[in-house]
Amino acid sequence: MERKTPVRPRGWRNAGAGVSMVLPAVLIYVALLVVPVIYAFYYSFTEYNGFPTRVPEFIGLENYRTVFGSADMTDTMVITAVVAVAGAVVVNLAALGLALLLQRTNRFNTFGRVVMFYPHVLSALVVGFLWQAILGPQGVVNTMLEKVGTDALPFLSDPDWALWSMILVIVWSLFGVQLILYLAGLQAVPADLLEAARIDGAGRWRTFRAVTWPSLASTVTVAIITSGISLLKTYDVVVSLTGGGPAGSTKTLAYSILAVSFPQRNIGVASAQAVLLILAAAVLALTVLVLRRRAEDDAESIG
Amino acid sequence: MTMTSVNRGRTVRGTALAAAVPLLLVAACSSGSGSSGSEDGEIRMLVNLTDNLDQAYWEKLVEPFEEKTGLKVRIEGPTGKSVAESFPQQLAAGTAPDVIQSVFPDDDTAPELIDLSGEAWAKDTPMFDEYAMGEEHYAVGVGTQTQSLVFYNKSAFAKAGISEPPTTWDELAEDLADLKKAGYTPMQTAGDYQTGLQLQQIYHPTLNQLHPKWQTAVDQEKLSVGDAYKPAFQLYADWIEAGYINKSDVGLSPSQADGNFIAGKVGLYTNGSWFAATLNKSKDLPFEVGVFSPPAADGQAHPGPQGATMANPYMIRKGVADEDGAKQLVEYLVTDPKAIEAQLGSDGVFRKDSGLEQTEIDAQIQGVLDEAPALVAVGEGQGNVRLPVTGFNPKFTEVAQSLYTGASPADAAGAIDQWVDENR
Repeated sequence: MERKTPVRPRGWRNAGAGVSMVLPAVLIYVALLVVPVIYAFYYSFTEYNGFPTRVPEFIGLENYRTVFGSADMTDTMVITAVVAVAGAVVVNLAALGLALLLQRTNRFNTFGRVVMFYPHVLSALVVGFLWQAILGPQGVVNTMLEKVGTDALPFLSDPDWALWSMILVIVWSLFGVQLILYLAGLQAVPADLLEAARIDGAGRWRTFRAVTWPSLASTVTVAIITSGISLLKTYDVVVSLTGGGPAGSTKTLAYSILAVSFPQRNIGVASAQAVLLILAAAVLALTVLVLRRRAEDDAESIG
Repeated sequence: MTMTSVNRGRTVRGTALAAAVPLLLVAACSSGSGSSGSEDGEIRMLVNLTDNLDQAYWEKLVEPFEEKTGLKVRIEGPTGKSVAESFPQQLAAGTAPDVIQSVFPDDDTAPELIDLSGEAWAKDTPMFDEYAMGEEHYAVGVGTQTQSLVFYNKSAFAKAGISEPPTTWDELAEDLADLKKAGYTPMQTAGDYQTGLQLQQIYHPTLNQLHPKWQTAVDQEKLSVGDAYKPAFQLYADWIEAGYINKSDVGLSPSQADGNFIAGKVGLYTNGSWFAATLNKSKDLPFEVGVFSPPAADGQAHPGPQGATMANPYMIRKGVADEDGAKQLVEYLVTDPKAIEAQLGSDGVFRKDSGLEQTEIDAQIQGVLDEAPALVAVGEGQGNVRLPVTGFNPKFTEVAQSLYTGASPADAAGAIDQWVDENR
């Protein structure tokens, strides 16, 4: 009993110190992330132009009906899904492939890593304008094609070409971070397992399938979720590369929220679109996590 | 009460407090009347910054006013893509400026603005009544910008054997064919906002001859936008198919399109009077520039009505800290001879009897303006002649671009009608 008495105040002091250190971060997190999301949910059930002199009018699910009933808005959701899925696949395949090539530390690989990370340093708006100058009808590529007597390519003037050009430009700009993630993941692959596989006579592909890939599971999960969410929010590159065109073929959901619904002062509709985007990001993250958990369970049951 | 329930109670209270404090802070920050007058006595003026109208231009423009009155004016550029996008966002955030340049009032913003009907100095400003909403006047401007102009390369016309600018659509089609044969890009168009704008510009006179005040007719459901514009969509589709307009133009930036015309590669270029400022700045053009009013409707007199907008409109936000100061600033901007002169010369703006020395191109535009039988509302409309939707121009551009990517005129007409119905 005598020994317990001084312990309790120390416990309270520790708890108090812990709370005082955590509380500011929690307050900032709630104020900057939770509160805006709550507001977005609230406004998505109202008709409101966003001006302080107007009171939001509750209209139930009407904004969601508008979103799903408008061909214009459902098209943006399809385009966003294509950008997110195709972009995430391409960026992760490319980043993993290059990480495997650049994983050994030497001067050339260090230089290669810096070069590959460079696009991420540029602002997305600059990336868009840069590629506009390269891929546009009078851009560098088409001017060169014209000089060698070949027909110009409709990178930004055909709907399908424009969509895939935009996806590849976004992949180019996101690529650096994913590469770093995979390089870090590869450093964590146990050297003794790689050595054991080599002694057992496993080839490069077999070693990758049996040792490297399972060891990278958590890295792949993080890389897919972060790249998928970044791609879902695609806005800046749309503004500077295609402006949503031609004929709305590259108009993503985020672009529709910020460049169409907000300027039209449809705060309710814009909020409903934002809520759907949040849900899409949550579904994406949960799906990847569940798939990974299932794969791990399967592996454990086999083992 | 057990220890567990006490802890749970503390946890719940702690969580509630953690959630409530920021909520209250945010609510405190976001509530109020939207009043956001600058605390340091400055008049905040939101302006569009362009190649022609940069920060230095605006600061120089208000400098004499500051010297004369002792009031300070802070020039602010848009926080988003444009003033049209930024002003509503700033109103919503409670950070709106005192004076707003370059945009017009609408049903949403009008209650947030000061009615200038009672100001004696405002009554004689250009297009004051055309921009009235009901009996109220929220915007005053410096002059008029003409919207329906076709700039042409006189050397190209001479080489193609064209002696006079066209006055009918058939003549225009023949001229486009001749220009193509002569090796020129017959008609220059561009992507971005300009695709829809140019289509509207070239068709304004005909549209307003066939359907006067067409925006009001659409509002009253006597006309659909698709029906109004279907003949124009057909013209564009025919010209694209014939190669008079390049399909790849839809990926071209407006400044690249300007550059193509200035380089002398192009026969015809539809644009507004602001393009004259760009041409005037381009020294030693390799050709002579002509300007004409677009063709008239079949059987109607040429020239038709000219699309026109109030140039450099200014509005004052309701609740501004220094209302008198803001009014003095706007009065200076729209009535002071030197301020007017600076603004007229900067961006292709015209004002009757201004006495300003004009270039050859300006004089031609003034001629088109003087000969026009009427000045008509463009795009979404203005004042009491307005469509029942907002965001018309970006959507119209999207629809116009679909003509370049294979949509039929009927599809384009259907798409714009569907959008109007969804957003009415």
